Amino acid sequence: MKPSRRAGRRDFLRMSGYGALAVAMGAAALPRDGTRKAPAFAPGLHAHGDGPPMPGFNREVDHIANGFNPSDTLTDFDYGVVSTLPGGRTLREYRLFSGDKDIEVAPGAAFPAWVYNGRLPGPTLRAREGDLLRVHFTNGSAHPHTVHFHGVHPANMDGVFEVVQPGESFTYEFDADPFGLHLYHCHVMPLAKHIAKGLYGAFIIDPAQGRPPAHEMVMVMHGLDVDFDGVNDFYAVNGIPFHYDRNPIPIKAGELVRVYLVNILEFDLLNSFHLHANFFHYYPTGTSLTPSEFTDTVIQGQAQRGILEFRYTYPGRYMFHAHITEFTELGWTGLFDVAA
Amino acid sequence: MDTPIPTPAGKPARPDLKALVLLAIPVLLLAGVIAVFLLTAGAGLNVRPVAPVEDLAFERLVLREGEIEVHVRNTGPDTLTLSSAILNETVWPFHIEPGETLPRLGRATLTFAYPWIEAEPLAIKLFTANSIPFETVIPAAAETIPSGGDAWLRFTLIGLYVGVLPVLLGIGWYPALRRMGARAFVFLMALTVGLLLFLGIDAVNESLEVAARLGRPFQGVGLVATGVLGAYLLLDAITRHQAGLGRGESDQRLRLATMIAVGIGLHNLGEGLAIGAAYRVGEAALGTFLVIGFVLQNITEGLGIIAPVVRDRPSVRRLVVLGTIGGAPAIAGAWIGGSIDSAPLAALFLAVGAGAVFEVMVEVIRLVRRQTAKEAMPLNVFAGVMAGMLLLYATGFLVK
Repeated sequence: MKPSRRAGRRDFLRMSGYGALAVAMGAAALPRDGTRKAPAFAPGLHAHGDGPPMPGFNREVDHIANGFNPSDTLTDFDYGVVSTLPGGRTLREYRLFSGDKDIEVAPGAAFPAWVYNGRLPGPTLRAREGDLLRVHFTNGSAHPHTVHFHGVHPANMDGVFEVVQPGESFTYEFDADPFGLHLYHCHVMPLAKHIAKGLYGAFIIDPAQGRPPAHEMVMVMHGLDVDFDGVNDFYAVNGIPFHYDRNPIPIKAGELVRVYLVNILEFDLLNSFHLHANFFHYYPTGTSLTPSEFTDTVIQGQAQRGILEFRYTYPGRYMFHAHITEFTELGWTGLFDVAA
Repeated sequence: MDTPIPTPAGKPARPDLKALVLLAIPVLLLAGVIAVFLLTAGAGLNVRPVAPVEDLAFERLVLREGEIEVHVRNTGPDTLTLSSAILNETVWPFHIEPGETLPRLGRATLTFAYPWIEAEPLAIKLFTANSIPFETVIPAAAETIPSGGDAWLRFTLIGLYVGVLPVLLGIGWYPALRRMGARAFVFLMALTVGLLLFLGIDAVNESLEVAARLGRPFQGVGLVATGVLGAYLLLDAITRHQAGLGRGESDQRLRLATMIAVGIGLHNLGEGLAIGAAYRVGEAALGTFLVIGFVLQNITEGLGIIAPVVRDRPSVRRLVVLGTIGGAPAIAGAWIGGSIDSAPLAALFLAVGAGAVFEVMVEVIRLVRRQTAKEAMPLNVFAGVMAGMLLLYATGFLVK
């Protein structure tokens, strides 16, 4: 990208990816709910020397038809149905159902996905260390599936050999152990196909004593091989490429932000997260309460995950994206909109 | 096979009303079959493909500073909707006219504000709404020559260099050729046959190459075959019509020279069209070497034109006219190629040129036959044809 010497407002507008339009509308009028349908750039309006537009699609996808909006699933945690067992132990029961669903991941383009609970990625299951968990899984897909949790559990709860045929159910029961940030995904062969089609989600086990209060969000990094040639065509966090670029995530200056970051990228070896104009404390796998690193970029292989904690000092818009810039420009990019 | 088709005796030559009705009956029955097929969703055949069948042809790419214009055509069986675009591994927003949904054979123009880099490859990938990718690659990006006064001048110059000048220069051999005897004359005519044969085969090859890039509905090979045969048969008919007018032998030789000029002119029209189209999109950097190559190769075309009239005394004016007929169409071709840039048209023009050249070749062969019937010339014809073909083969190294 051509560097611009103009600071402040102009840069900020340009970052939003539809500079000329934003100037016309006034920056304050930009909606964040995905209602914008105008093309991302209007040829001719874009003044010469202003720099090229940001990468991205022409328009927003239809979140209502998709059945989920990444702006909502970002902070959506499923704590399950909570009850207390004799002896005082907490029981959490979750319902997962798999299904075949077309998801509009690019304007007008349906990705024939396999998903949990009708969304990409599946719901973020959340429990507390030591709880007893029951996950009632029903396979509503035309293909056999399972749910394989990362964590400590008996062999028959591992979701590998107990394949659930279409129309059948299975209940996984295990202890929430160890605390940290984990994930779940289908483990039916061919595995790469079942993962690339969208059967995955984040799984958080909070430590018994909890973590400091924070503005929490979950980001599941993944790829989209829309033409099924074994090569990712687009990259994203939480289902839709460029979503948080078009719909920046609002946070406040000074507040503690905690990002639960999971990588389930298929076909490519590595993924990464880079935070602009800031540094974060990194807790690999979230299994320790002491951060291992203070950095602004972290690399994860498939199924690696970790917790990020940071505060912004200055208000404004800041990018976060894979520092594998090819992934960035193919969809894995977003913005934090930091309010004073 | 020679049995004549029996004609009904005593019937009028024009079809009457009854004949028209009889002609229409199978057509009406056919319409009924199609209606049954459509109404019963395939009449028992499962005609729905497993995955959608889509096809998209990239017809034209225009590169301006910081901007790319992509002209595409839906060459698939159904309506097609474009979803997203990836330029060199980057998802890029675009403006599309008239809309993102293209009917069968419909066209659309996509405009990208993209900072392409000169001389570097540019890969353009378009995804349809069915997530089917279509890709084209510009090996080395370069600014497209804009249309307008300056461009017209450039295309005129291209036509002059590759068409008019070489053909006229070739005709300049006339005084030298006049001093040659009958054997040399036959050799020269055979050389012309070799030249024309090589040109024709080369033109067919080029037109097939262009045809291969056409969308499936344009049936490139069929288009080329139609163009070649159409031009051949039309020129053949014109030649026979003129021969029927019955004039002196020298008159006939002059007509043959004119026909050769027309054939070569049609060929040069196709050649100019191809060069103009390529030059416009920056594919053919017409280097000094290439221009010199074209001059050298096409100078032989002038030789072919004057060969039949070497023993006559055509005026200088007549020679210039012949040269212009042979060469000037290259200018028109460059103009057409540089302005409308239609791949089906380019394939057709090249094919027409090939057909014209083949027809002219056959005319020259007839002339050679008449000569060799009077006097046996072993190996003379062979040497001439081979010399003509090898001459073009050798000079081809300069332009290919």
